Amino acid sequence: MARQQPVTRQHPTALQHPVVGDRSEPRGRTDRTGRAAGRVRGFNSTSTAEKVVRYLLLLLVLLLTVGPFLWELSTSLKAPTEDIFTRTPSFLPRKPTLGNYAEAVRAVPVWTYAANSLVVAAITVGGNVVGATLAGFALARLRFGGARLILGIFLATLVLPGEVTIVSQYVTVRSLGLADTLLGVALPGAIGMLNVLLMRTAFRAVPGEMDDAAIVDGANVWQRLIHIGLPNVRGMLSVIVIFAFIGAWDDFLWPLIVLTDPDKYTLTVGIQYLNGTFSANPRVIAAGTMIAFLPIVVVFAALQRFFFRGVEEGAIKG
Amino acid sequence: MRKYWARLAVAAVVATTVAGCGLGGGSSSPGGDSASAAVTGEIKGKVTLQTWALKPKFTDYMQGVIDSFQRKYPGVQVSWLDQPADGYADKVLSQAAGGGLPDVVNLPPDFALPLVRQGLLLDIASADPALAQDYVAGGIDAYRYAGQPGAYGYPWYLNTDVNYWNADLLTKYGLDPAKLPTNLDELIAQAKVFKEKSGGQAYLMSRKPGLGDLANAGVRIMAEDGKSFTFNTPEAAALLDRYREAYQQGLLPKDVLTDKYAGNAKLFSTGTAAWTTGGGNYITSLATDNPTLAPKVVPSPAMGTPPLYVQGLSVAKSSRNLPTSLALARWVTDAENQAAFAHLTSIFPSTKASASDPYFSKSDGTNASAAKVIAFSSLAKAAVLQPVQVDQAMSDIVNQQIALAISGGTTSKKALDDAVARCDQLLKN
Repeated sequence: MARQQPVTRQHPTALQHPVVGDRSEPRGRTDRTGRAAGRVRGFNSTSTAEKVVRYLLLLLVLLLTVGPFLWELSTSLKAPTEDIFTRTPSFLPRKPTLGNYAEAVRAVPVWTYAANSLVVAAITVGGNVVGATLAGFALARLRFGGARLILGIFLATLVLPGEVTIVSQYVTVRSLGLADTLLGVALPGAIGMLNVLLMRTAFRAVPGEMDDAAIVDGANVWQRLIHIGLPNVRGMLSVIVIFAFIGAWDDFLWPLIVLTDPDKYTLTVGIQYLNGTFSANPRVIAAGTMIAFLPIVVVFAALQRFFFRGVEEGAIKG
Repeated sequence: MRKYWARLAVAAVVATTVAGCGLGGGSSSPGGDSASAAVTGEIKGKVTLQTWALKPKFTDYMQGVIDSFQRKYPGVQVSWLDQPADGYADKVLSQAAGGGLPDVVNLPPDFALPLVRQGLLLDIASADPALAQDYVAGGIDAYRYAGQPGAYGYPWYLNTDVNYWNADLLTKYGLDPAKLPTNLDELIAQAKVFKEKSGGQAYLMSRKPGLGDLANAGVRIMAEDGKSFTFNTPEAAALLDRYREAYQQGLLPKDVLTDKYAGNAKLFSTGTAAWTTGGGNYITSLATDNPTLAPKVVPSPAMGTPPLYVQGLSVAKSSRNLPTSLALARWVTDAENQAAFAHLTSIFPSTKASASDPYFSKSDGTNASAAKVIAFSSLAKAAVLQPVQVDQAMSDIVNQQIALAISGGTTSKKALDDAVARCDQLLKN
């Protein structure tokens, strides 16, 4: 066993930090709360005027980002007798109605499309969580020939905008026999290079001593990934889940190109039918958009506490 | 920006992939070696038909047309695909690159051009000798391209632009809706009155000129052979000078030259602009968007030569069932089916037989119906004003240069020279 090995400098640390992931958590937390406490003191010492300015700025940004969204929401609730485009946008529908939602659901098979989108999103999220974790861990923690080269190649692919490779990607998917399938839609996004890099950064942020200690304790690569790596990168994982989900859910051009059979359309492509030739009703389009937007809210709400920790990890340690 | 890049990439890859893989039949001189004989053969088997954004409003209509085709030719199976409005150009180009172009596909002339260049579309003029006999010349001409012999689509439905005026605003700011401007001089004169009365609260003019306006002023946009641009003439410069003067007098909204500009149709629906142009069905769609505004709208004929907008059905040269594809394209675009389509919305048939249909020339008294009649009578003299060779990149350049000239950043002559030079360069690539 590892404990019988000659004493090294890391050895005592290894004993203090057992391989179990949960125990390593508190240490991280104390660090963070310590830092947070410092921030709180600083905040208390600000003057009222400064606070007002801060809130005003926050409100301004909130208005800018939420404004268009609110406009869509109010449009989706407006009755057919109300004007949509006015000099001063009116946000309160005078005769609120849910009729536009019914109309959207009636005009396009929203539920079928949403189910298709869910399949694509599930494959994409699953692929990214598993793939980016494995690849990120390998690049961050394992030593093997060509590691730097591989990292370089990963970085290089990030330089190309997705649109540039879209047709060659389509030809590839087509020759794989996956044209017009949901798998074909999900596959190219199933492991995002950016996500691999994010995971690599997250894994590197875990102190190397913990890994060394685990090695001393006889943990193999899988055990180190599962018991030391993963518990420390949950935040980053949730970031990836949310981004992968939003990316897969919102993508329009790629599913449009891959899919031919309207029954297989994803929601973003399918609700385009609301915007038909000679028949676009902005109220119904807005209602369709709201329906498509709901799942993103759900995913974000479910993961947001991890999400912000993930962002924090990336910001401080990365 | 993303969209622009996608377009560019897709177009570039199509150009290389298609030629490289030989998916388009391997012809390097498109049109040159295509069969000049009429396509004949038995009409049966499976064909695919692709339309653009007709579902769900016209699902019943299209299905009816397809069903009657299948009834007439037993043994024919048509699978109909309808593509969403957004991203259609990208979709078609990637279908072409992947070798999966549908047998019969709805393509406006500018979308068809890259496919014609790659020799992917069937020359209808030689495949169907009766083409010129049954369809209006303007519609067929839209599918003839400089340097490519033949016509590459059956013209389907047509549309044009009509002037729409906000009668309430005109009356409020001292103008008479019964005396609408019919040319640029009157427009500018009335815009002055309008501006004085409204104090800049609203505008009559809200659009900077484009290639269509230059063409309307008698400027030739392209050389006959379609290989160079020619719109840097003194007449064109004079037109821009007039707009610059109008802009400096504040007759146009300040942000008309920038990307912030929402488009005159949007300004019209918010009541900021009192004039816009739109298709024959504009009032109907306005009635959905802004129901209180639609009844106040007065239509009038477009100034100068009205622009012609053409939709058509092309047949893929690679189709394994050419006789049936051709018969289907002709069936969908025949006089009877087009007339039925035009009765559902304000579009106009491209068949000669429909020209005498009283439905299009009689108004039922509503302003929407009046607009339809105006549009229909405009069609006789309408022409394609902006050459199909002008792609998004070129329009961006032209728009930037025209904006520069109108803002006074450069002389009109120099702006037009620059635009022509850069568009020529793009054309050569």
